[in-house]
Amino acid sequence: MNAPLGIDAASIAERVQSEVQRAIQRSIKGVEYLSTSGPSLGSTPKDILHVRGTMNLYHYRPVADEIYRVPVLIVMATTNRGYILDLVPGQSFIEFLLKRGYDVYMLDWAAPKPEEKHLGMEDYVLDFIPDCVRRVQQDSGEMDVSVIGYCFGGVLSLLYGSIFRDGPMKNLICFTTPIDFREMKLFSNFSDRRYFDVDRLIDSVGNMPPELILSSFEMLRPASRAASQVQLWDNIWNDEFVKSYRMFDRWATDTLPLAGDYFRTITKDLMWDNKLYNDAMSVGGRAAKLENIKVPILHAVAEHDHIVPYEAARHLITKVGSTDKEEVILKGGHVSLVAGANAIKRLWPKLDSWLGKRST
Amino acid sequence: MADKGNDPAVIWQTMIGEMEKGFNSFANQAMGTPEFSRLMNQAGGFAAGAQKQLGELMERYLVSMNLPSRSQLVGMAERLQSIESQLNEIRALLNQMNRSASNAESPAAAKPRPPRTKRPPGEKEQK
Repeated sequence: MNAPLGIDAASIAERVQSEVQRAIQRSIKGVEYLSTSGPSLGSTPKDILHVRGTMNLYHYRPVADEIYRVPVLIVMATTNRGYILDLVPGQSFIEFLLKRGYDVYMLDWAAPKPEEKHLGMEDYVLDFIPDCVRRVQQDSGEMDVSVIGYCFGGVLSLLYGSIFRDGPMKNLICFTTPIDFREMKLFSNFSDRRYFDVDRLIDSVGNMPPELILSSFEMLRPASRAASQVQLWDNIWNDEFVKSYRMFDRWATDTLPLAGDYFRTITKDLMWDNKLYNDAMSVGGRAAKLENIKVPILHAVAEHDHIVPYEAARHLITKVGSTDKEEVILKGGHVSLVAGANAIKRLWPKLDSWLGKRST
Repeated sequence: MADKGNDPAVIWQTMIGEMEKGFNSFANQAMGTPEFSRLMNQAGGFAAGAQKQLGELMERYLVSMNLPSRSQLVGMAERLQSIESQLNEIRALLNQMNRSASNAESPAAAKPRPPRTKRPPGEKEQK
């Protein structure tokens, strides 16, 4: 009787039983979800080397018996917190690097205070990054430093590398770094110079509020928040799913404000005039042309990145002056490229094999 | 087992996924137009202007009521943050001093930094 439908009675009973169990689990776990906080993030042991305003420099305690000669400085994106690269043990990029024998430092950002609204691009590129590099050199006793920049941290690292062309940066790794801002089509439309009065906005609010930054990210995929909440409810019986959801959701909504003048420069020089791509970018009066970068460079981009589409990132490798350069396109999105199960099997091993031989 | 095509849970998840993709793609098309940008920025501009004016008005009102204004509270928060960061720096310094002291007292107990002699795995195998 069941044959025509291709379903047997036993399998239906099994399915119903499993769904009933899941429904019960959902109710129990749902209450648990509301009454507990998520996993503790960013807990790899570290020392704070320096704190100055919005700038935090950490040194992670080495765990390997011997480490590579060249230390690594990670420059985080200014819109988000660095703990995306240090989730929980087993899913932490920092922990992975430490176990593979790297000496790891991170330049992470705190929310700029209202009185820091005058921080501009030159503060980030000509002061914060060089200051951190100097401190890494002092702390490690090594002159060479490899730099890893994630998203806009990659843009800052590129600007730094193109201005400080004589070192001490030894290698540069960029993750999902845009250089052609025309190709960030929606952001470009949101900030259309005919309608977006950036000066009026910043004069009114001081620093760019995190809520506006978060909304503009969420507008790129307006249905995804609701869909992910439905998915959470479907999978709330699954502890691993819930843990992962909480980690990524917490990070994604933990957006930082951007210093007012810095945001003005991003809008005018990058979004409006596309100066980095057009070789017309300068910071504090110093030309920042990508062709000035001659160090080995690896650029990792994600196939399905909705924040930095491939078209916005693809010219980086052709425009830098390095001879030792490589672009890798990996499966994943803007965040799953660097964190989570996808990153563990794709990006991290690739980075280790590329950087290891350039770190001696 | 029922095949996946008949599984209501799979059908539901696929439907949600497709709806999400469809709506995102539709919304992205709409948001890519100059008209959307004009309307969004007009609304945003009004909101920012109104927020500024309201803020100034509230500030004057709170001063007249002898109550702390938002900017005064933000000022206090900034001072607290500054005290917190100074405490962090002091803590970092104390940790450093503690490590130096324990190095001096018992060098064996202190954990020195590992040597910077690591070679990539491929190179080791070749040697």
